[in-house]
Amino acid sequence: MNALPVRTEAEQALGFDLPHRRMEEWRWTDLRQLVDRPYPPRQKEVAAAGDVERLLASSLFRNVAATRMVFVNGEYDAAHSRMANGWVESRIPMEDPLVRLNTSFATDGARLKFEGNTDTPVELVFIATDAAPRMLATHNVIEVADNSSATLIETHLGAGTYLSSSITEIRVGHGARLDRVKSEIEAPGATHLAHADVTLAHSATLRDFTLTTGARVNRQNGTYRFAGEYADARVSGAYLLAGRQHADTRLVVDHQLANCVSRELFKCVLGEQARGIFQGKVIVRPGAQKTDGKQSSHALLLSGTAEFDAKPELEIYADDVACGHGATAGELNHDHLFYLKSRGIPEAEAKALLIAAFAGEAFETIHHDGLREALTAFAAHWLTQHRRAS
Amino acid sequence: MAEVETIELVKDIDVDKYKYGFTTDIEAEFAPKGLSEDTVRFISKKKNEPGWMLEARLETYRRWLTMEEPTWARVDYPRIDFQDIYYYAAPKGVSAPKSLDEVDPKLLETYAKLGIPLKEQEILAGVRKQGERSELDEAGGEYASGKVAVDAVFDSVSVVTTFKAELAKAGVIFCSISEALREHPDLVKKYLFSVVPQTDNYYAALNSAVFSDGSFVYVPPGVRCPMELSTYFRMNAKNTGQFERTLIIADKGSYVSYLEGCTAPMREESQLHAAVVELVALDDAEIKYSTVQNWYPGDAEGKGGVYNFVTKRGDCRGSRSKISWTQVETGSAITWKYPSCILRGDDSRGEFYSIAISNGRQQVDSGTKMIHLGRNTSSRIISKGIAAGRSENTYRGLVSAHRKAINSRNFTQCDSLLIGDKCGAHTVPYIESKTSTAQFEHEATTSKISDDQMFYCMSRGLSQEEAVALIVNGFVRDVLQQLPMEFMAETQKLIGISLEGSVG
Repeated sequence: MNALPVRTEAEQALGFDLPHRRMEEWRWTDLRQLVDRPYPPRQKEVAAAGDVERLLASSLFRNVAATRMVFVNGEYDAAHSRMANGWVESRIPMEDPLVRLNTSFATDGARLKFEGNTDTPVELVFIATDAAPRMLATHNVIEVADNSSATLIETHLGAGTYLSSSITEIRVGHGARLDRVKSEIEAPGATHLAHADVTLAHSATLRDFTLTTGARVNRQNGTYRFAGEYADARVSGAYLLAGRQHADTRLVVDHQLANCVSRELFKCVLGEQARGIFQGKVIVRPGAQKTDGKQSSHALLLSGTAEFDAKPELEIYADDVACGHGATAGELNHDHLFYLKSRGIPEAEAKALLIAAFAGEAFETIHHDGLREALTAFAAHWLTQHRRAS
Repeated sequence: MAEVETIELVKDIDVDKYKYGFTTDIEAEFAPKGLSEDTVRFISKKKNEPGWMLEARLETYRRWLTMEEPTWARVDYPRIDFQDIYYYAAPKGVSAPKSLDEVDPKLLETYAKLGIPLKEQEILAGVRKQGERSELDEAGGEYASGKVAVDAVFDSVSVVTTFKAELAKAGVIFCSISEALREHPDLVKKYLFSVVPQTDNYYAALNSAVFSDGSFVYVPPGVRCPMELSTYFRMNAKNTGQFERTLIIADKGSYVSYLEGCTAPMREESQLHAAVVELVALDDAEIKYSTVQNWYPGDAEGKGGVYNFVTKRGDCRGSRSKISWTQVETGSAITWKYPSCILRGDDSRGEFYSIAISNGRQQVDSGTKMIHLGRNTSSRIISKGIAAGRSENTYRGLVSAHRKAINSRNFTQCDSLLIGDKCGAHTVPYIESKTSTAQFEHEATTSKISDDQMFYCMSRGLSQEEAVALIVNGFVRDVLQQLPMEFMAETQKLIGISLEGSVG
C-alpha cells in the first residue's frame, strides 16, 4: 500500500525525494507535482549587464536603499553592489527538505554582521537573468550584534523559468532590533522555495514582513525561536496573487522561554485561480509562562475559482499564557461595497479601495516609512493591473 | 511540592471518584479470543444475519488486514495486540433483546446502579419525578411526558430496548442493529455504509468487520419522534472490545433527538472501543445527537482505561436538513473521535458542540469536520477543551467548502483552558475554501482560570474546588445549553467530579 513512488524527473536530477502531499507539512503544496521539470545546477554564466540593470531597476526599493548587495544568478556581483560581503558562520539545522535542497546547491549569499545602529536600509537583491531552466541557490547569514539595530531588505527578481532556493539565517542579539522586509517578485515562470531561520536573544526585537506576489510556485518556511526572555517578534505578510499562482507560507514560532511576545498577521488577496495557503504554528514549551502569542490570517477571495487553505495551529504546554489565533476567508463585504457606491464611487474603484485597505493592514506593520510607501504603491499598481481578476 | 500535591490529588479522583468502575459478576459467553475470518463468521452467525451482511463483513476484514494503523493523532499508546481481544462477549442466555421481565435481574441491577431507567414507567433517575412538571413543559417543550426510550447494550449485545410499542405507534423504529438486520433488512442495506464506507479508516474497517450491536433508528416522513431516544453502552467483560454500530435515519421532515452514554469498569488492562455512528438526514429532517462519554479513564499513572477510537459522521443528504452533534467527553484513556457533517443538501446545516475534559494522564484528540458541498450550507463549531493534571487535549478540525458550495458559512470557536502547568492544550484546525462566496471565521483562544476569577468566587465563600467547578461550568455553558434538558444537571455534576483535585 505504501510502496515508494517512482522518482520524478526532477527528483532524479536532484538525487533525492521532494516533499509531497502525504507529508503533513506539505499537504497543500505537493512539490513532487509542482516542480514539474528538472532544474540542473547552474553553470558559470555571464549575464548581460543590460539585463542586470533592467531587473535591478524593477526593485521596489531602488530609491530607498542606499547600500545594497547584488547577487546575480546565485553569485555576488561586486560591480553592482554598494557594500562588501562579509563572513558570518552558518548554524542552521539540516532536517528541513528546503534546507537540504539549498545546501546541496548553494553557491553564494550575504554574510553580514550589523554592529551599532544603522539608519539606512541595506538591500540584498537576488537576480535571475533569462536563461535555460536551472537551480539558483543562495544562503544568507545575518547577525545583528547586541544592542545594535538594522533594517534589511531582501528582494527577489528575475526573468524566465528557474528555481530559486533561498535560505536566510538571522540572529538578533541581546537588546538588538532588526526590521526585515522581503519582497518576492520573481518571474511568472519561477519557483521560489525559501526558508528563514530566526533566533532572538534576550530583549531582542524583530519586525519581519514578506510580500509574496511573484513566481508560479512559492513556498516559504519560517522558524522563529526565542533564545532569551522578553523578546518580541512580529511577523507579517501580504499575498497579492492572480493567474494560477500558488503560495504557501509555513511559520513555526517556538516559545521556549517565558515572557516573550509574538504576533503574526497575514493578509492574502487571491484572484483568478490563485491558491494561497497559510500554516502557522505557535508552540509554547513547558515553562514558557507569560507567553503572549497571537496569530491571524485573513483571505480575500476575488474570484469563485481562487482557493485559500489555512492551518493555524497552537501547541501549548504552559498554563499562564495568552494565546489565540483567528482565521477568516471570504469575499469583499457587500455592505462595504454598497456604502462606497452609494457615495458615488464607481464599483471598480470602490473594490480597489477595499482591497487596498484589506492588504494595507499588513503593510502598516512596517516601521520604515519609505519601505511602507514603496510597498503600498506597488499594491496599488498591482490592483490596477489585476482589476479584471476580480 | 505543588507537583507532588497535584499528583496526590489527581490519584484520588481517578481511582476513587470514578463511580461507575464496578464490575457485574455475570456469566458471559465469548467468541474465541483473537481476530480471524472465523471470528467474523462466529459473530455473524450469533446475530443470525442475512448472507449479504456476512459477505460484507468478510470483505471488509480482508481489506482491513492490508490497512495500517493511523499515527497522525497526538496520542501515544502501546501497540494494540488485536489477537489478544475478545470480539464478542454476551451475558449468557442473551442473544437478542427480550421483554423486560425476561432480562436477568443482575443486569437490571447494573443499570439501576448506573442510574439508567429500564422500567418503562420510570423516568430518568435523579432528574425529576414522574408527573412533575418542568420548565420545559411550560415552555411547550416536546418531551412533555419526560419519557426516554433506552436501548441498553451490554458488552456485545443489546439486552433490552424500552418503549418500543409506544414508538411503533408513531411509526418510529427503534431497536438494536442486529434486530434491524433481521426485521428491516432493506432499510439497513440501503443506508448502512452509505455515510461511513466499510474501509473509511482503520478503526471503521475493524468495526465494519466485527461490529456486534448498536442501535437502529428510523423516523418516518413528517414524524417528530415522541420521546428522547437513548442508548447506554456498558463494557463489562475483561479483555473485551466493544464494537457497536449505530445507524439513524431521519426521513423527510422528521425530527429525532438521540443520546448516548457509556461507562466501563476499572481494569488494569486497557480496553478497546471502536464504534461507528452513521446519521442520515433527508429533506427538512433534523437529527440531534448527544453523547456523554464517561468510559473509565485509567488510573493516575495512565494504567488501564478505555481506548475510544470512534468514527461518527452525519450526512445532511436532503435540502434544509440539519444535524447537530453535542458531546461531553470526560472519560477514556485515549479519545480519537471526530463527529462530522457532510453538508450535501442545499441550505443544510451542521453543528458541533463539544466539551472535552482531560485529567490525570488522559489523551484527547477530538474535533469535527464540516464539509460544505451544497449551496447556502452553514455550520457552527463550538469546542471547549479543558486540560488538567498531566493530560493532553487536542482539538483537530476541518472546515472545507467545495467550489459549488456557494454562500456557505462557517463559524468556529475553539477555547482551551489549562489547569496546571503539566498539561497540554493544542488546536489544529484546517480551513479549506474553494469559493469566494464562502465565509469562514475561525477563532481560538487558550487561557487559564485567572486569579481574579478565583479570588472573586472564594471571597464569596466558595471553596477552591467549588470555584473551579463554577468557573469551568461557565466556560462550557454555550455547549451545555445544547444538551437535552434531562442531562444538563447530570453533566454539570460530572464536570465537577472530573476536575476535582485538579487545583493545588
